[in-house]
Amino acid sequence: MTKLFQSLGDWFDNRTGVRKIIHESLYEPIPGGARWRYVWGSTLVMAFVTQLVTGVFLWMAYSPSTQTAWESVFYIQYEMNGGWLLRGIHHFMAQAMVVLLAIHFLQVVWDGAYRAPRELNFILGLILMLIVLGLALTGYLLPWDQKGYWATSVGTNLASQAPVVGPDVKKLAVGGSEYGHQTLTRFFALHAGVLPGALMAFLVLHIALFRRHGLHARKPDHKLDAMFWPDQVLKDSIAALAVLTVVLGLTIYFGGAELTAPADPANPYDAARPEWYFLFLFQFLKWFPGELEVWGAFIIPGLIMAVLFLMPWIGRTRTGHLINIALLFVLLGGAAALTAQAIHEDYFAAWNSKEDILKADDPVLAARYEASERFLNAKTEAHREAERVIELAESPQRIPPTGALSMMYDDPLLQGPKLFAQNCASCHNFVDPSKPVEEQPHAIVNNKPTAPNLFGVGSEAWALGILDPEKVASAHYFGYEGSPFVDGEMATYVTDTFGADVDDEQKAQAKEAFHKIAEALEAEAALPTGPKPNEERKNRIAEGRELIAGGLSEMLDSGMSCTDCHKFHDTGDLGTAPDLTGYMSREWLLAFVRNPAGERFYGDNNDRMPAFGPHDNPQLNQLDDKSLGLIVDWLRGDWVRVAQPVEKFDETP
Amino acid sequence: MSDHQMDIPPQLSVKIPGAPVGNRRSFFAITAAVVAGSIAVLTPIGVGIAAFLTPLFRKSKSPEVRIALLDQVPDDGLPRYFPVVADREDAWTRYPAQRVGAVYLIREAGQETPTAFTAKCPHAGCFIGYTPGAKVFQCPCHTSAFKLNGERVNGDAEVAPRGMDTLPVSIRQAKAGDGTEIAEVWVEFIDFQTGHKEKIPTA
Repeated sequence: MTKLFQSLGDWFDNRTGVRKIIHESLYEPIPGGARWRYVWGSTLVMAFVTQLVTGVFLWMAYSPSTQTAWESVFYIQYEMNGGWLLRGIHHFMAQAMVVLLAIHFLQVVWDGAYRAPRELNFILGLILMLIVLGLALTGYLLPWDQKGYWATSVGTNLASQAPVVGPDVKKLAVGGSEYGHQTLTRFFALHAGVLPGALMAFLVLHIALFRRHGLHARKPDHKLDAMFWPDQVLKDSIAALAVLTVVLGLTIYFGGAELTAPADPANPYDAARPEWYFLFLFQFLKWFPGELEVWGAFIIPGLIMAVLFLMPWIGRTRTGHLINIALLFVLLGGAAALTAQAIHEDYFAAWNSKEDILKADDPVLAARYEASERFLNAKTEAHREAERVIELAESPQRIPPTGALSMMYDDPLLQGPKLFAQNCASCHNFVDPSKPVEEQPHAIVNNKPTAPNLFGVGSEAWALGILDPEKVASAHYFGYEGSPFVDGEMATYVTDTFGADVDDEQKAQAKEAFHKIAEALEAEAALPTGPKPNEERKNRIAEGRELIAGGLSEMLDSGMSCTDCHKFHDTGDLGTAPDLTGYMSREWLLAFVRNPAGERFYGDNNDRMPAFGPHDNPQLNQLDDKSLGLIVDWLRGDWVRVAQPVEKFDETP
Repeated sequence: MSDHQMDIPPQLSVKIPGAPVGNRRSFFAITAAVVAGSIAVLTPIGVGIAAFLTPLFRKSKSPEVRIALLDQVPDDGLPRYFPVVADREDAWTRYPAQRVGAVYLIREAGQETPTAFTAKCPHAGCFIGYTPGAKVFQCPCHTSAFKLNGERVNGDAEVAPRGMDTLPVSIRQAKAGDGTEIAEVWVEFIDFQTGHKEKIPTA
């Protein structure tokens, strides 16, 4: 058997000369023996191989187009076996590679390993470094999430400012004047094809030249020379394993790479920041106002790169070598300082208390605090959005063919608050009155409301508030600033029902009746979050309906019931007060927002509420039908619920 | 291999006994080889590059977009935010009625036609934000700030190279169902290059 293998091996070697190649690659003499300090180049090769392997498997699941990029990354991250681990390793190994590059580079300069005859190999190394940074830059966009989209678009906009060719370079990189399908296909081709190909080609040259000139030994040599195999290989392997351990640790600690909400060209992401190793560049640009930007973005970085490329020649003399080392430390120190500054600015609001800043009465500090607050809020908001989109994508309804972004646009839970803030919040509040505002991260607060608080409209509790003498005159209902209703018939009716001259027994009776009415009104609204009516509740609702339709008049001294002013199904007339038929149902609320001054609602008694959609032609309306629907659905709590039935979203994440 | 070991340089030309040297025929052979080889290699590269350059030959048109009703922009000198909704084409996909950007409309007392600022920052293209009640617009990316008339707060010391970009505005009358006329604000939504002192359209 051994003989057979032996002769097969001989035959193969005779045809290929493979033994010599293996021998040459393994039996490289290491002057002074194997050492830990020689492992960095090998760890970089190993990191690159990891990226190739994980990258190819990610490629098998990735689809570059604006309707499928985020969606396919979502699928990798949340549905494929260990997909999060695969993507996490790719993500964190990319960062490890940048760190290893810095170490490798620093060591080469420190040791003067760039000196003759290794100048060209140093330059090959710099080219490899630029390729790796290019890979990092192009990879950041591929998930097509808010973070990558906006950070990269800042980058390509900067590129467009390059003198003369800038705008054309940007168009070619982006594949048009705006981000879209062609941006993804191009970035992906660069990321998975052109750049890795170039990297491999340059890596082969880099290693070939390294072999040609041999390892640059640190002198003096203490020990005897040794061979690459197995001594150095063992050390390299252990180092590679250590790198992998760190990367795996980070991946598991962070639960893989982040995937923020799908890229939305219309909704900017205020926390758009590049990856941490580019932060210093981002911060550097802030130092160059206006047209001086060219200096910050191109000229100075270009000069620095030029000096780096010239290092082997600058370092020919001892002084020159020291200059190189000094320069490198200045650059690294500067980059570290800029990075720290960028992080400090972004997290300023998290690390300082608002009171202290306000006390200082310094407009610069205040502006910094505000900017940081916006950054942090945008981050939290993006997390919330991402959680919701992922929740919807995982739900049985899945992602529609138009992509996750359209799913986001159709979700009342995500769009409702935004539309409410834009169109309704200048008058209305959306705050749960039973809880302190600080405990409600999603409350929309208007401190000087000129209209009722709309939190929980249509619910039993909300209806009961109108029927409560203390609440009806509060700012949450009709007691808002300049309200014509605070002394109106409804408020007076409720207050009188519980007036000082009414005896306790009748008060208790009225209270019980109002409860039933509130339940009946909630049944009219048919909220998706409403309790499932059991037999007992059904009876109470039926009683409530009878009370509304006239029953109340027999019970109260005033002799009035709801239908004396309101219409309720077949009883009462329109024209004096809002119709209670289907009160706060989707149809009712839509019609109301379209035109609150309509006969069916407040008519001539309408306060300041504008008609948001009075025209049949949607072009003439302030709000389009879709936005109206989203606001109404959100107010009614009518959205797809996946994990928990109610109010999952109202908890702090 | 070490530094001291010098490789023997490979010989550029090898003499084959009996073969003619340096005559006209070999000159043609060399030229023909270079030309044929180059054409064979360069043709696919050229075709690829031509396809790759497509975006440079595509001109995009700035759409005229209906932004809001004039009633929605009271003449109180306060900016109001409106999304810009237009049909958008991205390579092979057509998105009807998409938010393609945003504008701020401002109308000073007595001013008939509002001023429109695009929300795109002239510095690096981020979306400029405005908190209702604030006295400045603020860009979240590189902290540029603009006065409500679009000028840079810190003049030339600002990161942004120019003030906020205004867009051409027109008022059009639309007819409601009952025959009454409603004034609408229309804007020509031009995209400008970032980072320059001058306003240069990207298209």
